[in-house]
Amino acid sequence: MAGRGGARYRPDMSSFLPATPPGLEAEESPRSRWGRFLRALTPRMIGLTLASSLVVAIVMSPIFDLPFTVLLGRTLFVGFVTLLARSAAVASSQRLVPPWVLQSVSVLSGAILATLAVYLLATGGDFGALVKHEARIQGFILISGTGTIVGLMLALGALERQRDSEAKAMGLQLALERSRLERHAADARLAVLTAQVEPHFLFNTLANVQALVETGSPRAPAVLRSLIAYLKATMPRLDDGDARLGREMTLVRSYLELMHLRMPDRLRFTVEGDPALQGFPCPPMLLLTLVENAVRHGIDPSETGGSIAVGTARVGDVVRLSVRDDGVGMGESAVPGTGLANLRERLAAFYGGTARLELTEVVPHGLLAEILIDVPATRTTSAAS
Amino acid sequence: MTDSDFPDDAAPARAAGAVRALIVDDEPLLRTHLAHHLAQLWPELEIAGEARNGREAVDLAVRLRPDVVFMDVHMPGMNGVEAARLMGPEVQIVFVTAYEQYAVAAFEQGAIDYLVKPFDAERLAESVARLRRRIAERRRMSASEAGLGQVTSLAADTPEAAAALGRLPPGDLDAVLSALAGELRRRAPVGDRLQWIRASVGQMIKLIPVDEVLYFRSDEKYTLVVWVGGEALIRKSIRELLDGLEPETFIQIHRSTIVNLRFVAQVIKGPNETAEVHLKGRSETLSVSRNHVHWFRQY
Repeated sequence: MAGRGGARYRPDMSSFLPATPPGLEAEESPRSRWGRFLRALTPRMIGLTLASSLVVAIVMSPIFDLPFTVLLGRTLFVGFVTLLARSAAVASSQRLVPPWVLQSVSVLSGAILATLAVYLLATGGDFGALVKHEARIQGFILISGTGTIVGLMLALGALERQRDSEAKAMGLQLALERSRLERHAADARLAVLTAQVEPHFLFNTLANVQALVETGSPRAPAVLRSLIAYLKATMPRLDDGDARLGREMTLVRSYLELMHLRMPDRLRFTVEGDPALQGFPCPPMLLLTLVENAVRHGIDPSETGGSIAVGTARVGDVVRLSVRDDGVGMGESAVPGTGLANLRERLAAFYGGTARLELTEVVPHGLLAEILIDVPATRTTSAAS
Repeated sequence: MTDSDFPDDAAPARAAGAVRALIVDDEPLLRTHLAHHLAQLWPELEIAGEARNGREAVDLAVRLRPDVVFMDVHMPGMNGVEAARLMGPEVQIVFVTAYEQYAVAAFEQGAIDYLVKPFDAERLAESVARLRRRIAERRRMSASEAGLGQVTSLAADTPEAAAALGRLPPGDLDAVLSALAGELRRRAPVGDRLQWIRASVGQMIKLIPVDEVLYFRSDEKYTLVVWVGGEALIRKSIRELLDGLEPETFIQIHRSTIVNLRFVAQVIKGPNETAEVHLKGRSETLSVSRNHVHWFRQY
């Protein structure tokens, strides 16, 4: 999720917006480097440089045999040149040495070169006069040394703060990501709550019930029972208190019985669940979504129809829920309905990343949809109890 | 009056005799139920045959030449609207549908007879009354034309006659049905983009949603597909994949590499006009070649 390396981390929401180009660092114009240079010159850094130059001048004024304003001028000059050198280091986009090394080197060289410039100015550009004069050498060492130390403290302090804020930004990013996932889960839940029963399915089924009732068929009561069970299970409900595999299997059986009534010559089915998994937690409509897909996209488009096998089993630490059909199968261009995307969201929300959906082609035609849930032994026992 | 595209040799023969109907629905109970109601409301109607899908319906219509077809809209294979278009204007079609708003709207617009499932007996009685009127009118007209010895089209093919019968002229009717057939096809879940990658994993062929693919990389013979759940070799070439994949999301960054932009964490400039793509949650990087670095430059 996160980018590589904190300093290069870049919040990237592009994956959530269709086709937004990612953060691009491949093309870096001189302009953006200039912008980074200016951004490194924060009012805070300028203020700190001013203040420390002043403090250093005050502290050193008893040592130096100079007017205070001249000394202050020198410390200010050294301070600001060092600041500029550090800003240039910040703006650099090189990746060979760590930022702290580069900034330290730039602060060190900034302080020394600036002090040298000040003293060369004082001696009228005579380097020989500078090295021969012991007091000047001491002054040089004092100012450049203090400049380096103060500069390093400020620069590394700023680097530390920057790391802090990047860490915070990353934390914020993760929080955003989490809230996004939660929102999607809520949306998926809401979708489950609202668009349960397709009117087309309901009215077609009711037409069949009507036919049975009007002809006085003895099958009518059983069919009505299936329809009622299906409607009850799919009615919007706010609590998932009874979100168990056993209930889901009952729902799936009711649905398949109704569909079998409607297409007796085209649909055959089996529903075989491991009794030990009756109490296994399962978000509502999970299997139903897969079974509805199998009917709608596998069996219904076929003139000859086919069969659907629903099964649950536990193999080692994996619970396997499967829906296999031998219908028309799925083409590579079959547009995945919102159902499957929604199902993935629900899996992530309910099992928290331990579950996955896998689709496999059935030979010679058809589709096997499996939900595989990793369950450590402790969880299964607690779920079953 | 122009010559018809549908010469109707059987019309004189049909001018007399029982009115013949086809019932077309993929659900057997509903066929039986409709037949049962029709027997009560219209005892003289002869149910000449029943069909389970559009293809069977067209076959039966050619053989049995019915006057009226009760046609379910949603059926496997050829749907009801497509079948109706193949039957020609001399057959009266009553569409039967369960809560398909767009279909009902199209029928209203084309003044086409329809029933909504589950239907009530009164609504069916209205339809039957209208059908009897139209078929009687049609038979009277074609009988009189046959009597005049004209080689001619069906009366209802002229706009005036069609209007008199309460239907759109055949051309317009076909346009309405064609639009509806298109709409029904659009609702079938097939697009023109690649949505799944078929990849052999062990003995099985997995269907990997393209949304979960991070990148494709090919060597001479195979293409490696890497998705969130693993990786596999496929036979599709980079070229074939590019043709099928959504170009907004999948871009070619190298002669042999396609990357899913949704999984790109960052792109880092390299020497010599190249770049490196870093992927979210993966350690490997992908190189962007000189020839493809332009994609990143446009932004």
